[in-house]
Amino acid sequence: MAYAVLRNVRYAGLASCVPGESVSNLDCPPEQRAERERLVRNIGIDHRRVCAPGVCFSDLAQRSAEVLLDNLGWDRSEIDAVVVVTQSSDYTYPGTAVLMQDRLGLPQSCLAFDINLGCSGYPYGLFVVGSMMSAGHLRKALLLVGDKSTNTDSKDMGFVVLFSDAGTATALEYDESAPPMHFDMHSDGSGYKAIYCPAGGNRLPVEKHHLDRVLGADGVLRRGIDIVLDGPAILNFSITRVPPAVNALLSAAGVDAESIDYFVFHQANRMINETIRKKLKLPVEKVPSTLLDFGNTSSASIPLTMTMHTRERLVGPGGKALLSGFGVGLSWSTCIMDVRGAIMPALVEY
Amino acid sequence: MQTSEASAVTGIDQFIENFLTAVDFQEAVEITPETEIASLSEWDSLAALGVIVMFDMEYEKTITGNDLKASKTIADLFALIA
Repeated sequence: MAYAVLRNVRYAGLASCVPGESVSNLDCPPEQRAERERLVRNIGIDHRRVCAPGVCFSDLAQRSAEVLLDNLGWDRSEIDAVVVVTQSSDYTYPGTAVLMQDRLGLPQSCLAFDINLGCSGYPYGLFVVGSMMSAGHLRKALLLVGDKSTNTDSKDMGFVVLFSDAGTATALEYDESAPPMHFDMHSDGSGYKAIYCPAGGNRLPVEKHHLDRVLGADGVLRRGIDIVLDGPAILNFSITRVPPAVNALLSAAGVDAESIDYFVFHQANRMINETIRKKLKLPVEKVPSTLLDFGNTSSASIPLTMTMHTRERLVGPGGKALLSGFGVGLSWSTCIMDVRGAIMPALVEY
Repeated sequence: MQTSEASAVTGIDQFIENFLTAVDFQEAVEITPETEIASLSEWDSLAALGVIVMFDMEYEKTITGNDLKASKTIADLFALIA
């Protein structure tokens, strides 16, 4: 997508919610300890948050939204839109946003729809909602972003040790005095097999044999309904596409990298995130991370990282942030925005 | 001639040092250009990712998972730099 700037959209607030249960990648038999320590050192992920049985992403997002609305003091009847970015909806259909209209007590005049994106989804969601708002169609809107990515049935350790669950709620408000938001988004569907779930859609409906585990060429036992990750392809995609995209947006927006207070990247794994940081020559202190304690939380990782590490500083003088999401699709997105004055309550546990 | 031979030796020595760091071996291991990658007990998917990052950062070269699979020895891997 060509560079776009949105005006009249204020980033009003953000809340993030994670399951209360934390599991450690180092929780293993003693004979596996050294190997797990090497893994944790390289992927940078120790603890992960895992939804209790029966808990969905939407439950985490709902709790985030309730806390955020209470903190904002917004009247729910004023909310014009609720948009959900997730790949772990409650049902195949209807979409989760419509359910959230009812569960959050929002008016039936509320516009509600889902966006099917993963790790690139937060800037995308901000752009979609912000675009409708910038044109004057919406006054107040909620953007609910995140996933339940953990799968306790998976035997794929390369998958299990990475993913963690989180749901977030972001409030946007029409405000003609708001600073501009800058966006740039990209897609490359030719790489869809880097991160995908083969069975369960219309292309390959689930049959009985998709529930049987089969040994793949990579030595991993998977079912047809399990997610396939091509590690080298994801790594190459991330470290070759993200740094130029960040530089391109800074250039298009006429913003110096030095003037950005925080660069908040999707939390993929330490190898990927550190390589991106080094290629962009960014100082560690400007690139916050939640990998160690929260793992890869898909589209929630950017807002969760803002809640955990930068909320007090972002809402103060140091409020200029560059956000960069990248992953399943393949899809990548970048935005620059100023969140000064936003309401950001502390992390919520479900 | 002597200079280029010397630099080639230095090149693969440095490459092996980078390889050892990238794989993050738990046990001490001796590696020569003839070492077969698959014979290394700690060679796994994590090691492969480390080596891909090493190629990108140290040699500004993008290699794929298939490039790694096609490389039998350390010398084969070193040849990918060219």
